[in-house]
Amino acid sequence: MDDRKIQIVIDSFLPMVKAALQYTITLAVISFVLGLILAVLVALVRVWKIPVLNQIAIFYVWVIRGTPLLVQLFIIFFGLPSIGIELDPFPAAIIAFTLNMGAYNSEIVRAAIQSIANGQWEAAYSLGMTRGQALRRIILPQATRVSVPPLSNSFISLVKDTSLAYTITVVELFQVAKQITATTYEPLLLYSEAAVIYLIICTVLNALQNVMEKRLSRFSTQ
Amino acid sequence: MIQIQNLHKSFGSLEVLKGIDLSLEKGKVLVIIGPSGSGKTTLLRCLNLLETPNEGTLRLGNTTVEFGNRRKASKQQTLDLRQSTGMVFQSYNLFPHKTALENVMEAQIVVQKRSKEEARKRSIELLAKVGLSGKEDVYPHQLSGGQQQRVGIARALATDPQVMLFDEPTSALDPELVGEVLKVMKQLAAEGMTMVVVTHEMKFAAEAADTVVLMDDGKILEQGPPQQVLQNPSSERASQFLNLLTEKEV
Ligand SMILES: Nc1ncnc2c1ncn2[C@@H]1O[C@H](COP(=O)(O)OP(=O)(O)OP(=O)(O)O)[C@@H](O)[C@H]1O
Ligand SMILES: [Mg+2]
Repeated sequence: MDDRKIQIVIDSFLPMVKAALQYTITLAVISFVLGLILAVLVALVRVWKIPVLNQIAIFYVWVIRGTPLLVQLFIIFFGLPSIGIELDPFPAAIIAFTLNMGAYNSEIVRAAIQSIANGQWEAAYSLGMTRGQALRRIILPQATRVSVPPLSNSFISLVKDTSLAYTITVVELFQVAKQITATTYEPLLLYSEAAVIYLIICTVLNALQNVMEKRLSRFSTQ
Repeated sequence: MIQIQNLHKSFGSLEVLKGIDLSLEKGKVLVIIGPSGSGKTTLLRCLNLLETPNEGTLRLGNTTVEFGNRRKASKQQTLDLRQSTGMVFQSYNLFPHKTALENVMEAQIVVQKRSKEEARKRSIELLAKVGLSGKEDVYPHQLSGGQQQRVGIARALATDPQVMLFDEPTSALDPELVGEVLKVMKQLAAEGMTMVVVTHEMKFAAEAADTVVLMDDGKILEQGPPQQVLQNPSSERASQFLNLLTEKEV
């Protein structure tokens, strides 16, 4: 590699890391947290088969899982303005990713709740607990343990998927790589650099996942 | 303490309880025996409303609930009934994410709103009572079946129930572990706890029961003191079943 290329890599590193911290990670964390809240609500609606809401939840999950994320992103950012809803790129991305996470993660949370033996609910009820108390104190703590691995995978996928936000002009990591490429004509170099930064982020997340799984495995679910 | 009249329960088109009448005074022990599928578990689960009867009357302590014609227990009645009963399950159903002590503390804190210190103190006493001092901080999967079931008994006792319900508490245990659980149950009976016990432990029935009920096909076939029901059953069907049981034990 010649000096010029090395200089490009060095000069672009900070802007890319900054974009990663400011947009990629922020986007992923906010959407994941909001999406998880949504996912738990949707999962409970489905587990308890709450009338009407259950049908809506099934429809929502069906639509989101059956359409590409990119299309969802375009509908929210480019489509909604024609019915009078104009969103800035960042909030539009948050909404799209939240809805996406909500649907996928609701299936994970639902499976986790349903994997807890019925006897756990019954034991809680037999002690006089209400449904809410049984859920919070007995079922969700156990379901959490079951769902940490799949939810972690889902979060790591999300971190990578945030690169799609470049299409609606969010200045996240990939967008920055693209912009620098446009002025330096070094696509291989810059996209590889972006790849390395994604790789580092995901490796850190993987390590965090392992720590969390260890901490949660103090007890074993039968 | 408990009074049941004309209790019916169906699952879909399958009628499992076909009109059960039963009463039990405070401090007495009722043992329910009967062939598999005769409705013993269902009857027990109707007592704390884990199953909702389709018809009949259930009185337990100060709560009376009528079923049928769209009548059922209110939320409050359900919670009251469950707080005044403690249930011990065949498969223990301990909370695997909580230690033995936390299992016993849980309902005291969540349901009875006792302070943590108070719940802890009571739980330590209860674990001692079932012979598990020193196992407070152990998780269920680190305990033997017999130990787990004794934690189950302590957990059920923790909310000071008026009636204890046992559903084949020893049938999942290795034979050598059955004794330690039965011992705790006998001690409870001797202390005057009102108990309803589904079991096939004939020795326990003979020694601890005040009344034995023999169920068959959703009905009560025989009912009376243990000597009478176990030794001189009035029906042919009952003696057949009892013969089968004693054969198995030999
Ligand atoms: N939730 C349920 N849904 C449908 N059928 C059920 C349900 N629970 C029990 N049954 C049926 O009701 C009948 C009585 O069951 P129950 O568990 O009360 O019998 P049991 O006397 O406790 O038997 P065992 O000695 O095998 O425990 C059985 O035919 C069983 O298949
Ligand atoms: Mg049974």
